[in-house]
Amino acid sequence: MAVDVFGSFALVLALVCAAYAFAGGIAAILTRHPLLIKSSRQAGIATCGLVFLATFSLEYLFFSDNFANAYVVAHSNRDLSTFYKVAALWSGQEGSLLFWSFLLSIYVVSVLIAYRNKNGELMPYVGVVMAGVQIFFLMLNNFVASPFKALAAPGADGVLNYVARGDGSGLNPLLQYPEMVIHPPNLYSGYTGFTIPFAFALGALLARYPGEKWIHLTRKWTMIAWMFQSLGILLGAHWAYAVLGWGGYWGWDPVENASLLPWLTGTAFLHSVMMQEKRGMMKVWNVWLVFCTFLMCILGTFLTRSGVVSSVHAFAQSSIGTWFVGFMGIILLVCFGAYLKNRDYLASENQLDSIVSRESSFLFNNLILLVSCIAVLSGTLFPVFSEWFTGNRISVGAPFFNKVNIPLGLLLLFLTGVGPLLAWRKTSTESLKRNFGWPLGAGMAAGAVAFALGFREFYSLVSLILCIFVVATIGLEFYRGAKVIRARSGASLAASAIDLTMRNTRRYGGYIVHVGMVFVFIGLAGSAFNRDTQKEMQLGSTMQIGPYTLLLQSFDTKPEKNYTAQRMIVEVLQDNKPKMMLYPEKRRFATNEQNGTMVAIHSTLKEDLYVVYAGDSPDTQLPVIHAYLNPLVKWIWFGGVVVVFGTLIALLPNQRAVLVLAGARHPATQPLPQALSPSVTLREGHD
Amino acid sequence: MTKARSLAAVAALLAMAIVPLMTTPLGAQQTDRAKQIGGKFMCMCGCNQVLTQCNHVGCQTSAGMLKELDQAVAKGETEDAMTQAFVLEYGTKVYAEPPKSGFSLVAWMMPSVYLLVGTVLVIFVISRWRKRPVHQVAAAGGAPGISADQLERARAQAARETED
Repeated sequence: MAVDVFGSFALVLALVCAAYAFAGGIAAILTRHPLLIKSSRQAGIATCGLVFLATFSLEYLFFSDNFANAYVVAHSNRDLSTFYKVAALWSGQEGSLLFWSFLLSIYVVSVLIAYRNKNGELMPYVGVVMAGVQIFFLMLNNFVASPFKALAAPGADGVLNYVARGDGSGLNPLLQYPEMVIHPPNLYSGYTGFTIPFAFALGALLARYPGEKWIHLTRKWTMIAWMFQSLGILLGAHWAYAVLGWGGYWGWDPVENASLLPWLTGTAFLHSVMMQEKRGMMKVWNVWLVFCTFLMCILGTFLTRSGVVSSVHAFAQSSIGTWFVGFMGIILLVCFGAYLKNRDYLASENQLDSIVSRESSFLFNNLILLVSCIAVLSGTLFPVFSEWFTGNRISVGAPFFNKVNIPLGLLLLFLTGVGPLLAWRKTSTESLKRNFGWPLGAGMAAGAVAFALGFREFYSLVSLILCIFVVATIGLEFYRGAKVIRARSGASLAASAIDLTMRNTRRYGGYIVHVGMVFVFIGLAGSAFNRDTQKEMQLGSTMQIGPYTLLLQSFDTKPEKNYTAQRMIVEVLQDNKPKMMLYPEKRRFATNEQNGTMVAIHSTLKEDLYVVYAGDSPDTQLPVIHAYLNPLVKWIWFGGVVVVFGTLIALLPNQRAVLVLAGARHPATQPLPQALSPSVTLREGHD
Repeated sequence: MTKARSLAAVAALLAMAIVPLMTTPLGAQQTDRAKQIGGKFMCMCGCNQVLTQCNHVGCQTSAGMLKELDQAVAKGETEDAMTQAFVLEYGTKVYAEPPKSGFSLVAWMMPSVYLLVGTVLVIFVISRWRKRPVHQVAAAGGAPGISADQLERARAQAARETED
């Protein structure tokens, strides 16, 4: 059997199995028959196995240069390196949808196997929801965007015959960059990963669970999805920075915005969920936040693939958007139905004791994140709305999004510093003074010094003050905790800080994530001071940018297997002393006759020297160099690494169990139990 | 008094925001002005980038548009005239940000409306939570449809049937 037929058949069978997992799961819920529960779970596992087979089949077609397959012809060629043949899988609409199903299947099979002997009553509900999502994507894979279509051409008799090409059209040059091999898998892992908390939240609501359990069960899954989403966004930004050659990393393109939407709601959820765990509050809110996060994932995919908004990153326009609109409609109906039917089980269990409390800070944190999300969404869709209402499509570009989101981002940064300093339930004035004094003083002092040194950019100055404030608050938290441990153990402060982190990984891992976000903000603040210059260059001529002098030494042509590179050899001098060589290049891909750039970047923590070979002047035919000096960009990538590190720490189990109040059902006015009692348990800690 | 303080704070913030504008060199080059105005338009090549930021290889559109701007600046045309000429040539898609007039005002107002409505909602929720009677919370039977017993049974069931 031909591999493409095998792959196609595997996809059809996967759809059949998913349909059985869905219908069998519903029957299992209604009848509680153990064999039905087992068989629907096994059908779910079989679905995933078949999707894996289909995906590997398509990869095999790429590796075997099977140019009888339409998708392989459109996205690969013989000279394409092995590395990029892997990435070619998700470079087009059909393959990326199959890749989506593939990643979703990894999550689904992991959940089904991990909980095969646990949570027997809840899992059929979860299995049904997961199978429902799989059915939707498998329908797309089978009927709307199949990656296994064979090339065909009409013969002399007018009948279509299968044909094969000698070579393919090749991969889009913009995608032939190492990050393209890791950015989409990370981003898609984020998108698909949010299916798991969604399935548990909806399942628990349908099963009438009051709320705590699904939160505990899905905490790690949510954090994993969030980590992948963060990493995917940052890798995408780095790819844009290094490949697109416009000197920036975030252009507020609709597709970029689409990836940010579930990240914002997911971040809001990761914070508000603590209110539920600690205080039994915001249960309805949390359920809806998870629903919205999943909907944002689907909406983002819809925006990327439907052609409803124009984007340089979007896939080709197709009728697939209708399917996504239908799916989102069904999700909304199911979620509303489940909520209206069982909302009584989500009653809040506590009251708010004071406005100055951790609870309030979480509420405002959620408010800012949600406002930012809705503002980005409405800005992204505004061109569509303006066309509907006025007949004219009005663009909404980066300047609008910056004006709207920079103040919101700074408010969020402020809350990042304030939140951890506020106590649950109520914070006394004394505590406020004690906790805020030093960090606020440090922030203001840094701001004053920067102002005295001539730092005048308003938002950057505020950002600097807040960054120092947040780092100081987090540093103080670590210092105070470590000091207590040091007093008991006699270990060094650093060892005590590590011990402290490992005792409550979620809390201190979370703080590390906040530090990473501060680094990202530092990098973003630097963009206010970006400089650039452009010049037509002759051999031996120079151009100046900041402290650097760029001297064009020569240029050469470098034939490679898949493209030919025109390379400029640029010597960089600083204070008239040679500092380094840079090689910006322009690539010509013969198979699809497209051009690509390879930016030369010299990156330090202080600034990036970013040199682009911008093409040849149409008037003089001389090569043009566009040079940028972008301060602090490296902090963004470094911040991303710290965010991932912090999340991984937060995912680790605590070395010692932390004493927390179980259930948190007592209002503040009731005395708390002093000794261990049934209302106090040892649980994996959270703050 | 509070109002006066608020006004003073707003004035201080505005003053700080204006400082960078005042420090812009007066004798700026014409090309700088073209660049500054170019930052208010989108490149029409379909890249969805601001005009001055589109330099992807082979983009003749941005080069042509920037040249047009340079020529207009050299002729001493006003920014309004240049904007009108661009809108006439490319349509309203050429704006990098919606103009602050007509239907486009909606785009500018919405984020403030979201923030305002959201803040009012949060304050409402906080005040409602604070006013909630303690006995109602303690019973955890705040929901009208089910009793505290039912809720407790559901909780016990969830605890029984699930494990991390």
